[in-house]
Amino acid sequence: MKAFDYVIKDEIGIHARPAGLLVKEAKKFESTITLKANGKSAAATKLMAIMSMGVKSGQTVTVEAEGADEEAASAGMQAFFEENL
Amino acid sequence: MKDKIFGVLQRVGRSFMLPIAILPVAGLLLGLGSSFTNTTMLETYGLMGVMGPGTVLNAIFQVMSAAGDIIFANLPIIFAMGVAIGMAKKEKEVAALAAVVAFFIMHASIGAMININGGAEQMLTGATASVCGITSLQMGVFGGIIVGLGVAALHNRFYKIELPQVLSFFGGTRFVPIISALVYTVVGIAMFFIWPVIQNGIYAVGNVVMESGYAGTWIYGFMERLLIPFGLHHVFYLPFWQTGLGGTMVVAGQAIEGAQNIFFAQLGDPTVEHFAVSATRFMSGKFPLMIFGLPGAALAMYKTAKPEKKKAVFGLLLSAALTSMLTGITEPLEFTFIFVAPLLYGIHCVFAGAAYMIMHMLNVGVGMTFSGGIIDLTLFGILQGNAKTNWIWIVVVGIVYFIVYYFLFSFLIKKLNLKTPGRDDSEEVKLYRRSDVDARKKGTQAADDGQAVDEMSRDICNGLGGKKNISDVDCCATRLRCTVFDSSKVSDAMLKSTGASGVIHKGNGVQIIYGPRVTVIKSNLEDYLEIAPDEVYDSSTTETTEEEVQKETKETKVVQTILISSPMTGVAADLSTAPDEGFAGKMMGDGAVVTPTDAVVRAPEDGEIAFVFDTKHAIGFMTDSGISLLIHVGIDTVNLNGEGFEALVEDGQKVKKGDPMLKLDLDYLKSHAPSITSPVLCTELEDNQKIRLLKEGDIQAGEALFAVDICE
Repeated sequence: MKAFDYVIKDEIGIHARPAGLLVKEAKKFESTITLKANGKSAAATKLMAIMSMGVKSGQTVTVEAEGADEEAASAGMQAFFEENL
Repeated sequence: MKDKIFGVLQRVGRSFMLPIAILPVAGLLLGLGSSFTNTTMLETYGLMGVMGPGTVLNAIFQVMSAAGDIIFANLPIIFAMGVAIGMAKKEKEVAALAAVVAFFIMHASIGAMININGGAEQMLTGATASVCGITSLQMGVFGGIIVGLGVAALHNRFYKIELPQVLSFFGGTRFVPIISALVYTVVGIAMFFIWPVIQNGIYAVGNVVMESGYAGTWIYGFMERLLIPFGLHHVFYLPFWQTGLGGTMVVAGQAIEGAQNIFFAQLGDPTVEHFAVSATRFMSGKFPLMIFGLPGAALAMYKTAKPEKKKAVFGLLLSAALTSMLTGITEPLEFTFIFVAPLLYGIHCVFAGAAYMIMHMLNVGVGMTFSGGIIDLTLFGILQGNAKTNWIWIVVVGIVYFIVYYFLFSFLIKKLNLKTPGRDDSEEVKLYRRSDVDARKKGTQAADDGQAVDEMSRDICNGLGGKKNISDVDCCATRLRCTVFDSSKVSDAMLKSTGASGVIHKGNGVQIIYGPRVTVIKSNLEDYLEIAPDEVYDSSTTETTEEEVQKETKETKVVQTILISSPMTGVAADLSTAPDEGFAGKMMGDGAVVTPTDAVVRAPEDGEIAFVFDTKHAIGFMTDSGISLLIHVGIDTVNLNGEGFEALVEDGQKVKKGDPMLKLDLDYLKSHAPSITSPVLCTELEDNQKIRLLKEGDIQAGEALFAVDICE
C-alpha cells in the first residue's frame, strides 16, 4: 500500500467540481484509492462520499492506494492534489 | 529531467530498430553461405562432391556469404543512416542523405588528420581501420551513431530554416546536408583528438568486464534483461556486440572489434577451431533462456490458469512461447507477467544472468544475429558443429532451465497467488469480453478487414488522448512507442482493449506492447492519423460510447426504472445546458438541471440526507431506492460561503418526499452567483444505469424530472 498526506490549499475545500475531477482521476487506476479526513474515510471513486467528508482548507487528507498500480496511482493522485487542491 | 533523458534514450533505442532489423537477413545469408562453403564442414558430412569448391552450389553460397558479410562490414554507415531516420521528426529521407554526407566527411577529415600526423603507422595497432575505403579511426558502430544522432539533431533544428532571398535555394531541407557537412568536418578533426582517449576508456571498461570473468558475464546478462522493461536494452548490449567494449581480437589477420563482429569474422574464417567464448559469452546465454526457460514459464502460467480461462490464455501463451523459441523475441511472453508479477521478472533476470554465465563456463561458442531463437541456434550452433561451438550444452542446460522455470513459476504463482493471465478475476474477463464484443460487432456488420483495422487504429488513437495529443509515433520489435503532449489523457484500459499486453508510461513517453505484429499496427495507425480528426479525445466519454456499443450488441432490456422527482419548482432542462462545463460535461454525474422560481428546495424522494455541504449550497441525498443524488443549487455558489441559503435539515436526517430541505434567498443568489440554474445529479451511476430526461420546461417540486433506467 502507498499513502501520502496532503494539506488542502484550496480555500473552499473539496467541493463539487474538484470532487468530480478527483473521482475521474481516481477511476483511471486499477488500485483502490481511499481518502481519509476528519475521522471519516471515503472511496476516491465515490463523489458523494468524498463530498460528505466536508474537507475544508487547511485540513489534512490521507490518500491511500492499494493494488497492482499503486505506485502510479499514488503518484497520480499526488499530482492531482497539488494541481487542483 | 529524468523523464526527458528517458524520452531521448527511448527514441535512440527505437531508432536502432531499423538497422537491427536487417541483421537477421544478413545473418541468414552469411550463416548459410559461410556454413556451406566451409570445407571442414563439407568434409565432415561428405558433401565435397555436391557442393565443394568449383560447384554451382558452392558459387551460390559464396555469393550469399559475401552478400551477408558486406552488411556486417558496413554496419557503421547503416547505423548512421538508420539512427538519423529514426531520430528525425519529419522529412526523414533528407536526414538519411545528410547522415551519409556527414559520415563520409567525418571519416575523410579523420583520414586527412591521420595523414598529416604521419599516417596510420603512427597510431596504436587496431586503432585505425578502413571505413568505406577511407583509412580512418576504428570507431565501429559508435561512429555511425554519433553521426546519426548529431545529424538528426541538426536536421530537426534546421529543416525549416529560411535563408535570405539570394540564398533561398539552399534553404529548408537542402540546408541540412550542407550544415551537416560543415559540422562534421569539424567533428572529424575533433574526433582525431578525442576518439583515441575514448578508445582507451572503452578498452578499460571492457577490461573490467573481461577481467571480472564469470561474474562479469553474469552482470552483463542480468543487466540486459533488467533493461528490457524500459526498452533500453538495445542501448546496453549493442556496445558489447558492436564495439571494443565487447573485446577486440585479430581474426584472419584483421583486428575486429565487438563480440558479434568477432563471431561473424570467425564464422567466415575456416581456420578457426573453436569460436572465441570471450565474444560469444555476450550472446550464448540467450539460447537456453529463450528456447527452453521462457516456454517453461509459459507452460507454468497455462497450467496455473483457471480452468474456465485456460482456453483463452492458451493461444496467447502458445504464440508468445513460439515467438520466443523461434525468433528469440521474448517481450510478448515477458510482458504477460512483468506487470502483474514483478517478482517473477526479478527472478527471471537472475536466471538470465546465470544462463550467460553457465554458457561461458561450459565454453559454449554460439553467436547470433539478433536474438537467441532456434533459427540462430541452428545456423550458428548446430550447423557449425559441436566441436566448434559446444552447442549441445545449450540443449542440456536448456532442459534444466525448462524444468526449473516450470516448477519455480508454478510454485510461486500458486503460493503467492500471482495474477498471471487467466488468474485475474476482473481485468482479464473484462478484456476478453470487450474484444468479444468488438469481434461480434465486426461480424454482424460484416465489416471488411480494412474497416476492422481502422477501428483498432481509432481505438489506439483515442486511447492516447486523440490525434491532437499525439506528438509522434514509432515502434521497435514489439512495442508501439509514442510521445504524447499530455500523459493524463492516455487511457490504459482502452489501449489494452486493442490487444496490447501491457502499457508503460514514463513522463510523456508511452510504450504499448503488442508483439512482433507491431510494425503493421504502427503503419495502420499512421495511415489512420493522416485522416483522423485533429482533436483531443477525452477517454471518459469513451466509456459511454463503449457502453452503448455493448448495449446495442447485447440488445439489453431495461429491467427497472427509478423515477427521480424535481426538488424545486422552476424550469427543467437537459444537463448539457448547464452554464458550467464541469456539470454540462457530466463530470460530476448525470441528471438534469432545474432553474428554481420558488424559494424552497424539497426532498425529491423519500430518503436520507447524506450531507449538507458547509456552505449549504449543495445537498447529498440518498433515496430509499438506492440512488445517490447531488442537488447543487446554482453555479459557483460555493463562493458565497452560505450567504443566501438556510438549511432546514442536517446530516443523516430521514426525510419524506416534499419535506423542505433548504430555503433560498433567490434575489441574493441571482445578484451574487453566475447562475441559479441548479444541477440535480446521480453521482454514482453503474455501467448499466442510464438517465432519461422526462420533463423539460416548467416543473413543480415533486413532479418526475428524470428516470434512471437499469438495464439487464
